[in-house]
Amino acid sequence: MSEKIKNWLEVRIGLDELVRTHITEHRVPKNINVFNTLGTVTLVGYLIQVISGIFLLIYYIPHSEHAFRSVQNIMTKVPYGWLFRQMHVVGSNLMITAALLHLVTIFFMGNYKRPRELTWVGGVLMLMITLTFGLSGYLLPWTQLSYWATTVVTSIPTAFPVFGDFITRLLRGGDIVSGITLTRFFALHVAILPPFFLMLIMSHIALIRRIGLSATPFGRSDEEKRPLTEFRKKTHPDGHPYYPYLFQKQLLMVIGYGMVMFAIITFTPTFFFPEEATVPADAFKTPENIRPEWYFLAPYQMLKLIPNKFLGISVQIILIAVFILWPFLDRHQEKNIFKRPVLRSVFIFILISLIILMWWGKR
Amino acid sequence: MKRRSFLKVLLTVFGAASFASFAYPLVRYLAPPGGSAEDKKVVIAKKEIPAGQSRAVLYNDKQVIVINRPGKGFIALSKVCTHLGCLVEYEKDKNALSCPCHAGTYDLEGNVLSGPPPRPLPKIPLKVEGEQIIIG
Repeated sequence: MSEKIKNWLEVRIGLDELVRTHITEHRVPKNINVFNTLGTVTLVGYLIQVISGIFLLIYYIPHSEHAFRSVQNIMTKVPYGWLFRQMHVVGSNLMITAALLHLVTIFFMGNYKRPRELTWVGGVLMLMITLTFGLSGYLLPWTQLSYWATTVVTSIPTAFPVFGDFITRLLRGGDIVSGITLTRFFALHVAILPPFFLMLIMSHIALIRRIGLSATPFGRSDEEKRPLTEFRKKTHPDGHPYYPYLFQKQLLMVIGYGMVMFAIITFTPTFFFPEEATVPADAFKTPENIRPEWYFLAPYQMLKLIPNKFLGISVQIILIAVFILWPFLDRHQEKNIFKRPVLRSVFIFILISLIILMWWGKR
Repeated sequence: MKRRSFLKVLLTVFGAASFASFAYPLVRYLAPPGGSAEDKKVVIAKKEIPAGQSRAVLYNDKQVIVINRPGKGFIALSKVCTHLGCLVEYEKDKNALSCPCHAGTYDLEGNVLSGPPPRPLPKIPLKVEGEQIIIG
């Protein structure tokens, strides 16, 4: 039976050739490591978010008078509703962790360098959209935490003259965060962001396939130093076949991702639910010690430390712009960060600064 | 001008016009409607706010704090911190208003004392008539 289906497909779409060219005979560098699987892990994380999100949509009510109750019902009354909500909440945090690790390792291995500038820019834009997913999804349970975190973030544009107030009102749908903001963020979360994200994922994967995987700089010599005068796809004729060599690594990491997710859901189910996340939104009371999600703690703390609001937000926008455009700013030919002491020091300094800011913001 | 160039110009003009004719309604659609011009006054009894106490009220859909300052009388200020929009709270022992988000503090006139707020809290018109406080 399976042979018949295989033959049926073979004569129509050339299945054998497809499998051969893209899987069994597709070569990857010999020195490829587990860090090269983080993109796949992030992609699987995104798929988990899509599936669990669709299940949540069945019971969630995007209305300020019903949103909190509907989420509580999902958690307490709908059979296994807690499981899908936990998968969505824990999954969002893990997905952002995987995306950040992916970017950090790509940066560390110098794989953003030419000819992969566009792959890097697309990846950073996807991270931005992922964070916007996190932000827009954060408001939907309509809790004290989500309400005030959204108030703070939507106030940020007011630092800019002329258009600032208009952008804030546009985001909120009025002067304050209200039911209109909830429906706007709901539309953003489930309908506006996903197609953009999907397009970026497709172009990201297409670029990786088109340009070819970059070997890490730690083992073999890299070819990126050649003059860039014509397009040349990087192939690895002496490399390992994608299947089973890299595929097994990817599978192992995806299983690890799932294990971490279910370990958190099972053993620390309240890990991502501080007290304010269980209290319905109150537009008349800002809770004490309000903090955003961990991935916004560093910019949040920076806003505390820089006394001028315009300056604080401008500094962050400049840092994001530098991050996105880094491949165009770093023109050094050397890919190996161990041979670049200045860049290595800056990289470590930024990482430590971010960790300190996060820890400080959490206190 | 060659026919091909003319068609290119025409296509650009029509394309831009089509985009603008769609973009304008889209911006108008997404932009929130303007606030109601009607000024709805809020009236509170004086006895509801003893000296050294405050009360939050909603005035024209905006959060306002009315404070009975010991020895100085009533004042109404916007409750929304000018930094990032959290709600300030009156702290009697410090004789100040403080924001729980980024620790900005204001005096009881709404002026910034410390922290990152860029502007004072806007004052809201208030008058006392007999036993009533009228906001607006």
